[in-house]
Formats: sequence, structure tokens, C-alpha cells
Amino acid sequence: MKDSSVRVGNTMKKKFFIAFLTGFLSLGGIIGVFGLSGTAFAMPLGGMGEFFVEFDELHGEDFEFIPKTGETGDSDSAPMVRNKMSVANITNLHIYKDLKLPTGNWVRVHIEAPSASIKGLIQDARFIDANLSFEEMAIKEQNSDDISKNWTQNATKVTIENAKIATSYLFQSMVSLDGAEISMEMIDGPETIE
Amino acid sequence: MGNKESRAAKKLEKKQAKLQKKYESLEGGGKFKKWRNDRPFWGATLTLLAGLMILYIPLQLYAIAFVPGSLVFVGFLFGGLILIVGGCAYFYPKLSTLFGVMTIFLSVLSIMGALGGFIIGTIIGIVGGALCIAWQQEEVSIDTPSENKRVKRRPKHQRPVENNQSLQA
Repeated sequence: MKDSSVRVGNTMKKKFFIAFLTGFLSLGGIIGVFGLSGTAFAMPLGGMGEFFVEFDELHGEDFEFIPKTGETGDSDSAPMVRNKMSVANITNLHIYKDLKLPTGNWVRVHIEAPSASIKGLIQDARFIDANLSFEEMAIKEQNSDDISKNWTQNATKVTIENAKIATSYLFQSMVSLDGAEISMEMIDGPETIE
Repeated sequence: MGNKESRAAKKLEKKQAKLQKKYESLEGGGKFKKWRNDRPFWGATLTLLAGLMILYIPLQLYAIAFVPGSLVFVGFLFGGLILIVGGCAYFYPKLSTLFGVMTIFLSVLSIMGALGGFIIGTIIGIVGGALCIAWQQEEVSIDTPSENKRVKRRPKHQRPVENNQSLQA
């Protein structure tokens, strides 16, 4: 008999568990930081079809209202408006989205927060139903082929009450949702606004 | 002290036996099994899978990925890097620890901009990264059969006559 050695690939259990736990601890850390402060940085919501945003009251600063056409989850080019605000404070925010399950049933995902504060808000909306009031509002027209420069509306402050907005894209540089709740419910069919 | 040493020796013996068993199964296996043995196969495969899952969300949001201020682009970057790391782990097995650490780091960070492939991508990335870190090639001493044993048996009609018991009797 002769004695020789060969190399065999092997997984070290100890190393695996240390790396595994470290990974999960750092994941828990990140989720914990976001969860405790209710804060998410640069949160985009869009490209997944229309979703609805409802709230009782919104106080915004540096408001900009720009008409545009853009892609939604259902259409390549839909007319919509872009709302921009540098700061927005919202009471009783409710975001919901209807999703079709592979089984054919519909489910509605709710995100609710009694108060929310947002920095750097960009929102593309197809439908807005709300009471609006502006401070120092200015409407400007420009002779341009670019639809986004053709007509703009600005205001230093805006207050929006009892709003329901059909949204296709929402972006926030920083959002803090105090006491946020996420829930789901089964529904018969999706909500549509023509 | 002696007790500790004997325990360590027992552990080592057990490990060697396990590795030897692995080697035996490897010997009987095909080409693919041998190829798999030379690299952190499952770690790299799970890393690739995690990269694809993490890329799913930015791909769905590609229309707005390049909007100024959008973090979806970062999701593309993280998902793409995880895919590259997974691919490299197949071809550069010696760097598996580095690839594993990178996979875990990028998977956790992908929560921002890509939602970590609905968290599932992040979890698969952590498992794949941990497997890459834990993978290593180990020397196993084996008892190879002597050269006499390796000689092919001759056909019956060519074997020497003295081996035939009935004729000796």
C-alpha cells in the first residue's frame, strides 16, 4: 500500500455559521435602523402599475407642478402631472396597491401612517381629487416644444386636504413614517379611475 | 491535558474519515462532480441566483432608473456586481473568501435601491456568500492500492497454471 494526498473541496461548518450570522446581524442592523426611525432613504415606488395615495392634510414647501407624459405600468405614454416639493408633512397617509396573485385572486397592500414627513418629494400623478390652497402662486408659460417647460405652476407653500391621488411614480429622498402599519386584504377586483 | 489531546486527535481522525469518504464518492463520480469539487459550486450558484433576484426590481423600474435622484440605478449596480462576483467565484476559487465577503456586503446593501429582491435575494446572497467563505480545499491522505493491485487481470486462458487449485492437487 502507498500513502499519498489529494485535495478535496469542503465546507467548514464553523466558518459558514460565523459568516451566516454576521450577514444576518448586519441585515438586522440595517432593517432595525430603518424600522426604529421609520426612515427610508431614497425610496422609489413606481413601474408596477398605478397605486393610490390618500391623506387628510399635506403641508408642502417649494411646490412645483409640471405637466408631462410618461410611461406607467399600463401604458407607454400617458398624460400626467409631476408634483415636486422640497418638504412635505402629511397627516393620515394611506398608500394602497391592488395586486393580482398567480391564483387569479386580488390582494390589496396597505401602507398607513398617522404622520409622515418627506424631504425631496417627486410624484407623477394621473388623477388628483383634493382641496388645494397655495401661497405666492405663479403660473408661467413658455414658448417651448418641450411639454415640461411649456407650462409650469409654482408656489412657495401648498396645503392639500382630503386628497385621493392615482400615482404612477413616487420618489422621496428621505421619508419618515411614524407609527407605520403595513397590512394586506383580499379584494374582489382592482380599483380603477377612468 | 492528555484528555484534550486525545479528543483533538479523535476529531481530526473523524474529519479525515469524512474527507476520505468524500474523496471516494468523488472518485466514482463523473466529470461534473470533479469540476464541482474544485470550486465553491453551491456558493457561486446561490450568489448568481441572488444577483438575478436583486436585479429583478431595478429591471421592473428601468423606465425611471436614470431619472436624476433615483436610487434604482444603485439597485442595478448592486445586482450586477453580485452577478459578476458569482461568475468569478466559479473561475477563481482561490479568492472564494473575498467573493463571499463581497456577496454578503452587497446583498445587505441592496436593501437600498433594490429592496434586496424582496428580501429573498438578500437572504440567498447571505447564504451563498457564507458558503463561499466557508469553502476550502483540504489535503486528504489516502491509501492508494499498490502497483500489483492495479495490474489488469489477465483473461482466464492466459493466467499461469500454478494458480489452478485443481491441477495442483
